[in-house]
Amino acid sequence: MLLKLALWIQATDFFTYLRGSGYVYPVILSLHMVGIAFFGGMILLTDMRLLGLAMRNRPVSDLVDQLRVPKRYGFLLTATCGVLLLCCKAEEYYYNAFFRAKITLLLLVVVHALLFRSRVYNRAAEFDTDRRVPAIAKTAALFSLLLWAGIACMGRGIGYIEPPFGIHAQLLGGFHL
Amino acid sequence: MFIENPLNSSELSFPILECFHIIGFAFSVGTIALVDFRLLGVGMRRETPLQLAKDTAYWTLGGLVLMVMSGLLLFSSDPDMYYLNWAFDLKMFFLVLAIIFNYTIHRKTVMSNAPGGGKLVACISLCLWAAVLFGGIFIGFLNPTLDINQI
Repeated sequence: MLLKLALWIQATDFFTYLRGSGYVYPVILSLHMVGIAFFGGMILLTDMRLLGLAMRNRPVSDLVDQLRVPKRYGFLLTATCGVLLLCCKAEEYYYNAFFRAKITLLLLVVVHALLFRSRVYNRAAEFDTDRRVPAIAKTAALFSLLLWAGIACMGRGIGYIEPPFGIHAQLLGGFHL
Repeated sequence: MFIENPLNSSELSFPILECFHIIGFAFSVGTIALVDFRLLGVGMRRETPLQLAKDTAYWTLGGLVLMVMSGLLLFSSDPDMYYLNWAFDLKMFFLVLAIIFNYTIHRKTVMSNAPGGGKLVACISLCLWAAVLFGGIFIGFLNPTLDINQI
């Protein structure tokens, strides 16, 4: 089911063109990197602040509140490029263990948000008056760091697996890569 | 005389170094971009660009060191290929330019603390770092082969 969808998506004219394009594909990948570089740092800094490792002269809420919107735009850019890249080689990605790990970690980011958003991120202003950032906020920051660093590393790993390319395309017929 | 590079004895070393490279530039370029966005009036507006630059200076430098060190090791795995790769040449050109720009004109603009100023400088800085990233990606999409006639 998922595999059929993957095959259909990558066989559309648009993604067939993207996959074969000499320059457009690497440009999208580059923009994916630009997203990581420009906005990934915001995640790192927010987490480091919560852990008390960076920007200690600034109130916690300054980082958490002010970076929330820019981070969303950054995620939008990075994720859009990521989805385009995925759709170009959807079949390959379907089999790719690193891609599966990356998606799992992204789902865990959602779990992270469900667990910590109301308890930590929406209450950042309360931590400003505390002498020390509470343990739950530090836990949230630590998991956030691990998750996002893991996502970046898994993403890099995707390119290193050679897929059983075209096997299912032949089996299902009608798809020529 | 050929010396075997120990990095090439494991196929894991290159991707692991790449991960450090990515985390390095997320710190360095990320903190520089934070200041640039502030100069453009986006993001951390409760702080001045100068405060942001000061507060992140060590992380910028640390990220740069991690990025350059891992980059040198990556380069050492196959110097011939990089030597012949025009995307690598461009990347190095923009990297040197971006670092020099960051510690001269960019720093001066941030230090001057003039309200509303520095938008052009911020744009140039962001473009330079984006060019470095583009160069890095394009390296992998060009496959120069060592052609004896070109040497």
